[in-house]
Amino acid sequence: MHALIQGIILGVLTAGVYALMASGQTLIFGIMKVVNLAQGAMVILGAYLSYQLFTSFGIDPLLSIPLTTIAMFVLGVAVEVLFLRPLRREDRSELSLLVTFAVALLLEGIMSVTWKTTVRSTNTGYANSSWTVFGYQITLVRLWAFLLSIAALGVLYLLLNRTRFGRAIRATVQNPESARLLGVEASRVSALGFGLGAATAAAAGSVYGLLYPFNSGSHYDLISRLLSIVLLGGLGSIGGAVVGALVVSTSSAIVASAISPSWSEMTFFVILLLVLLIRPQGLFGTTARGAI
Amino acid sequence: MAALLEVEGLIKSFGSVRAVNQASFTVQHNSITALIGPNGSGKTTLFNLITGYLPPDQGRVRFAGRDITGVDAGRLYRRGLSRTFQQARVFPQLTVQENLTVAAGYSWGQLFGRRMSKADRQRVGQLLEEFRMAHVADLFASELSYGQRKLLEFAAVLMSSPSLILLDEPTAGVNPVMIETMEHHIRDRYAAGITFLIVEHDMNFVMRLCDPVIVLDQGREIFAGTPSDVQSNPLVLDAYLGG
Amino acid sequence: MTAARYLGPAKGIAFFAILASLPSFNIAHWVLNIAVFTLMYAVMSSSWNLVGGFAGYPSLGHAAFFGIGAYGTALWFQHHAITSGYEPFELLPLIGILAALLGLPVAMIAMRTRSDVFAIVTITLLFVTQTLAFNLRSLTHGAQGLSIAVAPFSARTYERPFYYVLLLLLALAMGISLGAMRSKLGLSLAAVRADEDKARGIGVRTFGVKLLSFSISVGLTAMVGGIWAYYEGFIYPQFAIDPLVTIAIVLMTFLGGRATLWGPVLGAFILETAQQTLAYSLGGSQFYLIAYAMVFLLVMLLMPRGIVPSIQAGLRRRRRKAAVDAAGSQGNAADTKDRGVRSTLSTVKGSA
Repeated sequence: MHALIQGIILGVLTAGVYALMASGQTLIFGIMKVVNLAQGAMVILGAYLSYQLFTSFGIDPLLSIPLTTIAMFVLGVAVEVLFLRPLRREDRSELSLLVTFAVALLLEGIMSVTWKTTVRSTNTGYANSSWTVFGYQITLVRLWAFLLSIAALGVLYLLLNRTRFGRAIRATVQNPESARLLGVEASRVSALGFGLGAATAAAAGSVYGLLYPFNSGSHYDLISRLLSIVLLGGLGSIGGAVVGALVVSTSSAIVASAISPSWSEMTFFVILLLVLLIRPQGLFGTTARGAI
Repeated sequence: MAALLEVEGLIKSFGSVRAVNQASFTVQHNSITALIGPNGSGKTTLFNLITGYLPPDQGRVRFAGRDITGVDAGRLYRRGLSRTFQQARVFPQLTVQENLTVAAGYSWGQLFGRRMSKADRQRVGQLLEEFRMAHVADLFASELSYGQRKLLEFAAVLMSSPSLILLDEPTAGVNPVMIETMEHHIRDRYAAGITFLIVEHDMNFVMRLCDPVIVLDQGREIFAGTPSDVQSNPLVLDAYLGG
Repeated sequence: MTAARYLGPAKGIAFFAILASLPSFNIAHWVLNIAVFTLMYAVMSSSWNLVGGFAGYPSLGHAAFFGIGAYGTALWFQHHAITSGYEPFELLPLIGILAALLGLPVAMIAMRTRSDVFAIVTITLLFVTQTLAFNLRSLTHGAQGLSIAVAPFSARTYERPFYYVLLLLLALAMGISLGAMRSKLGLSLAAVRADEDKARGIGVRTFGVKLLSFSISVGLTAMVGGIWAYYEGFIYPQFAIDPLVTIAIVLMTFLGGRATLWGPVLGAFILETAQQTLAYSLGGSQFYLIAYAMVFLLVMLLMPRGIVPSIQAGLRRRRRKAAVDAAGSQGNAADTKDRGVRSTLSTVKGSA
């Protein structure tokens, strides 16, 4: 029982960072109908950037987030303009998968040239302190990571709900046709949306680097988790991504503590298959098929 | 004899919008029935419900005496209930001949037969002759004009020897010559015993061709009668003008 | 016309005759080694093309089935001795059938909805299979890997049996592709690829043909995995189930041309030889990865349809132009052309 509750606590705390990563990805899908397979690589790049800022200049990852998000926003816009925009409309959804996969490999290659393939982690002073509450251990760094992720999600929420740009994005997600008629310029929304997705990845990456050791190949582990979360929640739904992250990370934490850590990776895949069997559109997705 | 198609209390909602609200009507054997109504009155949704593209929330559909509510579109097609789409849906990278062949509704065993057998060629050839499209038989559908694509889609659903065809705005976006051609082919097939249910905005076309006319407003039937009755009915005028 | 009819078979016979005679020219081992790998990729991209090209469902998980085939073969020979050296090849059909059966439930779940969901489920399957290979230590020995007894072939002609078996498998994969293209199966798949909802609505057995093409495709891929494991003699999870294998297959098919007979093979011949040369000259795998990704991006952006379809479209345009010119001189094409123009005009008016 103790192990179970400890698992749940751990799962909820880690869910924050996954929710952040996944919300960027589901946002990109919502706007552009593109499954961004480079999201994991972007997260790792974000982790490297804040690692570098920390080791070279001593800037705490929590403080470097504004810098890395802006840098990654620009990168995201560039990727959209250079690689996704030129794709022809009729095979865009298919080609964009492969293009973003190629971008992931490109980023992986660049990262492994720049930082080699040795495993890094951002070791801050508070990395190892922890509290014990009612017999349950809560590490400070996990709590920080959780709060930070929630804060970043809050900023994302405000951006989407309180700004003109955010309203344009939400209109596009809900109905691209009428958004276009209302004067929302689809190509601009796509570029900015992809940038926003990348910026989310950067923020998540800073947090991720605090929590886990990583190297350039870590994005492979991330991407399958992220995709499961996004599908689970329903492609394009940010609320769904948050719930999906909670489900995936608590269940794999429980399995890790109750059975064995090596089986926790399997958990999300099993959950994913079950959800797809029962509800192909995901928990919060609206349509299973394209419009008729 | 019972009607060929019976629609009974169909309901379909999208979120909070009720696109089809208690729609009930019948289509008699060997008639050309029109389904008209203002934009957004639920005509296309109704087509989707009848032909198995969407499951209804409530209500029943009977075709040739059998309950077909919620039956898969492909199965209905093989049973003789066909439809076309508002935006002529053909397969652009298949040739005209192949577009027809693929619509023949073949069985599992035939799947491993030749892509275009001699029999296919013959059958497709006749149909193309009838539709005066023999000269474009080997073109890709993407190379056809929009009007020709609509004609091709119509010709294709004839491959399954249907007893009822639902046409969704057969004349929208095509030129007057093509409208005449379309009308001619519908009359031809009507004479051969096929029943039609047609959604159409071109009132001249409806008045010339269809009887009876069913009027739909806000997802339900408000009137059914002969074309001249429809024109003089105050309810119908209300629906169109009162919006 | 009659000449054109014999061109296809002649091309095929010549292609396989040249490939079959290649080893007898006493070429260097390293060249034959590249040839073996090229054939492996040619078979796999031809197989991927069955589902990714013809059906338009881009699987990103084929490497998982490659790995399943590799582990299947390796596991079998943990308990069975290799005597003549040909047993692993005899096992291949069984491996293929088992993998095809394993593919069925995957396809049933993943192919119900959209192709992007399919891509996601298959790529997730890839990573989960890799995790399994690492974690099921009692079976796979985890990261330590598995080894298979070395094939008792003479060192001088060591590659030949592998080469010929792969050539046979390529003939099988291309034969299946050709059969699909020439039958109503291919016609159905083309309809699925163009507009699946519409295809379903006109009685095409969409679900069935998708399942069939997926399971044949992964079955063939698993057979290549089996040959690879035997050829290498030892397998590790990260190489047996490698996302780069998936990407290579996909890239080759795209480069050569999806949904064509020769495209995937051509793509494999170009890319695998280039890749081996790149690997030799660049050495370090990091730069290699960057170069690979760049090639990929360039192919997607500059030639999204691939080599073979681009050539075909060019030929078709020329042929059509010639036909129209010929007909025009006889004076009856004017009618056709005029009708085309008229209805195009009306479309413009109608949509305005």
